[in-house]
Amino acid sequence: MTLWFLRGLHRGVVTTRYPARPDGSAADLPTPPVFRPEALDSELADRLVAVCPSHALRRDADILVFDVGACTACGRCQETAGSAVSPSGEFALAATSRGHLVKRIPLRREART
Amino acid sequence: MTKSNPPIPVQQSAAATLPPDTASGACGEQATAELLRQRIASQFGRSLHIRTLDTGSCAACEQEIRLLAAPHYDLHRLGFFFTPAPRHADLLMVTGPMIRAFDVAARKTYDAMPGPKIVVATGACALGGVYQPDAFVHGSVGDILPVDVWLPGCPPSPLALLQGLLVAVDRLAGKVSSLSFTSDDQPGEVRQ
Repeated sequence: MTLWFLRGLHRGVVTTRYPARPDGSAADLPTPPVFRPEALDSELADRLVAVCPSHALRRDADILVFDVGACTACGRCQETAGSAVSPSGEFALAATSRGHLVKRIPLRREART
Repeated sequence: MTKSNPPIPVQQSAAATLPPDTASGACGEQATAELLRQRIASQFGRSLHIRTLDTGSCAACEQEIRLLAAPHYDLHRLGFFFTPAPRHADLLMVTGPMIRAFDVAARKTYDAMPGPKIVVATGACALGGVYQPDAFVHGSVGDILPVDVWLPGCPPSPLALLQGLLVAVDRLAGKVSSLSFTSDDQPGEVRQ
């Protein structure tokens, strides 16, 4: 405590930076999913929209709209779509604009045969 | 905030403390806004007092917010402090889907805070994810209060909360706008 007090007096800075080292527990956190666009067709996108419990996904013609802000990282889309969806590992997602959190993911055009 | 208390005048905002020549449009509205933003950032850069506001949350967010004060995360080292009174607060951390029964209390809390003030919508509920607007909830904090920072997560981990607070005081740039949430690395099979 005394060390920190003297350090603050010496340097004139009373606060420190955002965690200097990566946090060890960060890897265990549930994180919003990442989508692979070439594996997403419209049928799969509809199933993902239906399975999302928090209205984070919606279809907009040939685009899957993913609202990261609404995502609760429940993992149901990952269960449904398997390899097309994987955890992103990103959890520090604060944004100054709501629009930054809404991602538009283009779907594959032709249906999978 | 009982009814017997006389109303306390709201402290002057930072706009009122600007020099008259810069505020009167010599360098334009945008430059004034930038100057104001810098001044607010410099004011908030060192120490900031946080008031939390629970508008119908499940308390998971509160649990994570409480962890911020624990030694592992040590919020105070970064210059943040929690305060029980909105009159002492610079930043309002709102959790929950903003139930309609809380309209008056939320407005009173916001009005009681001295300017300049920051509102952080915390958690997926507050961002409009979990509950859709209906007779009981607004569904999003943004419908009632002017939100400055959107902080996703269900619940946001203490590290995410710290990042959100630092984004709020302009000490850390938001990176979410650069993330696409798509990947096209290894092509794999889709389970049908």
